[in-house]
Amino acid sequence: MSAKQNEGPSNPFSPHEAARSTKPNLRDPQVVLALLEADQVVAAKQASRFGRKKLSLKMRVILWGLRIYLVIMLVIVAISVMRALHGDH
Amino acid sequence: MPPPQGDKPQKRYNPAQPTTESASATSSGRELLGLLTHEDLDRAHDRWRVAQARSPGHAALPLRTLRLFWLLVGPGVLVFLGENDAPSMLSYAATGARYGVGFFAPFFLLTFVMGFIVQEMTLRLGAVTHRGHAELIFDRFGRFWGLFSMGDLVLGNFLTLVAEFIGVRAGLSFFGVKPEVAVGSALFLVLAMITTGRYWTWERITMGLAICNCVFIPAALLTHPDWAELGRALATWKPFPHGDSGEIVLLILSTIGATVTPWMLFFQQSAVVDKGIQPRDIPAGRADTLVGAAIAAIVAIVALLATAPLFRHGISAADFQAAQFAQALEPWIGHAGAALFALGILEAGLVAIVTISTSSAYAFGEVFGTAHSLNRPFREGWRFYVILFGSACAAAGLVLIPHAPLEFIILVVNVIAVLAMPPALAFLLMLANDAELMGEYGNTFWQNVAGVTVTVMLIIAGMGFGIVTIFPRILAR
Repeated sequence: MSAKQNEGPSNPFSPHEAARSTKPNLRDPQVVLALLEADQVVAAKQASRFGRKKLSLKMRVILWGLRIYLVIMLVIVAISVMRALHGDH
Repeated sequence: MPPPQGDKPQKRYNPAQPTTESASATSSGRELLGLLTHEDLDRAHDRWRVAQARSPGHAALPLRTLRLFWLLVGPGVLVFLGENDAPSMLSYAATGARYGVGFFAPFFLLTFVMGFIVQEMTLRLGAVTHRGHAELIFDRFGRFWGLFSMGDLVLGNFLTLVAEFIGVRAGLSFFGVKPEVAVGSALFLVLAMITTGRYWTWERITMGLAICNCVFIPAALLTHPDWAELGRALATWKPFPHGDSGEIVLLILSTIGATVTPWMLFFQQSAVVDKGIQPRDIPAGRADTLVGAAIAAIVAIVALLATAPLFRHGISAADFQAAQFAQALEPWIGHAGAALFALGILEAGLVAIVTISTSSAYAFGEVFGTAHSLNRPFREGWRFYVILFGSACAAAGLVLIPHAPLEFIILVVNVIAVLAMPPALAFLLMLANDAELMGEYGNTFWQNVAGVTVTVMLIIAGMGFGIVTIFPRILAR
């Protein structure tokens, strides 16, 4: 990832320059784009998505294990609640 | 509107590249000029204020730092004070009334440390990717795992919202307000707040309301707490609670569920994105999250202190609801103190209704690719606002149905939150370690150790609850 912060005073549309104004002229799209990061603009986000990541076997086993854990625990919660509501201790 | 994401690669989209470059400096900047939305303009205005606060010569350094913190504080404070919600405050109150401060005061602190560890990851994810949690899960792991994750969120959020309305109803019942009026007033508040059409305004109003969580502090002070006892408890974790092991395990689980829950992950990441936080704001975002966790921890401990007189005087609080706690405390803290306690429960419910319904709306918008920002006017983001208000209305409606299983919901809401956390944390850890997404901002070794430790602790707590439920006599002496 680029860690470049484009705030040099030489760029007329840099955040640095935009911040100098007492009030930003948001009617000027260049000012808006200078203040936002490239992938922070709504249209840019809609046009690009992060692709699918391939899950390793180990990760799939962990995810399935946690999913099964959750289902079993929800059944136990149901048992616990039934006991509590019926006063069966 | 982009089509829903499936398991197959979406050829229509270009792969996203996280960047810290200004949009005007990129090759796509020219193409974006004519595509700016109202949301972009509002966010750019917020970023201008941040850039100005950072600008040397704007003011003296301490003032600039203070102003910068004021501009960037929000998601962290809101998520933690939102999670100090009605069921959580009732859980803290029940713990104080049943077992005093002893073991639970330091345990509360531990749970908030756990909360900070996981919430800090969502801050970084939001700041670097500018995407919400639900969107990243669907994009990176596909629809199959995304739907599981959304299912957990939707179920948890709905049950929690119902519990919040029960809290609002119970809190206002102390003042003689009818349930219909109490629930209707809460809905009106949600509606009023979303009509601002501006994230910044919404955030400031919600924070103003959230800070009223501190009304538990004067309520606790009126009980003349034993500070030495609190000090001993914090230092030694003693006395350890004795009695029904099943109840103790349930309270431990409820306490954890009062601090770390799936909705918090989704909410903070989406709020960070909506606020426009950028990677260079991460240190301020950490401070925001830390301040939120600290305030919430203090309020949790004072709620424990506030009901400790019931423990000292041997008053059973096993079946108490919000208003009953306030009424039971009246002999020790007077009517004003009891009113403060009831107001605290009301406030806790209101803030949580606002934040949790917003987290549901963010997640739906992210998954279905529709507008999902509080910076959108209603005509542009109506689906987002309909989900936000609709989820609150559905929960409110259930609370008003005669003979609805409200007791059931109060019993399970925090427990389900804890049980749903390990799968949610697995996704969080995978995303926070995703080099393509996070680059240099990915988890460090120690952040992973802390995150995995929290996950394992939650699994152990859940399994402990399961064992005690199936074999109730296993811990009996």
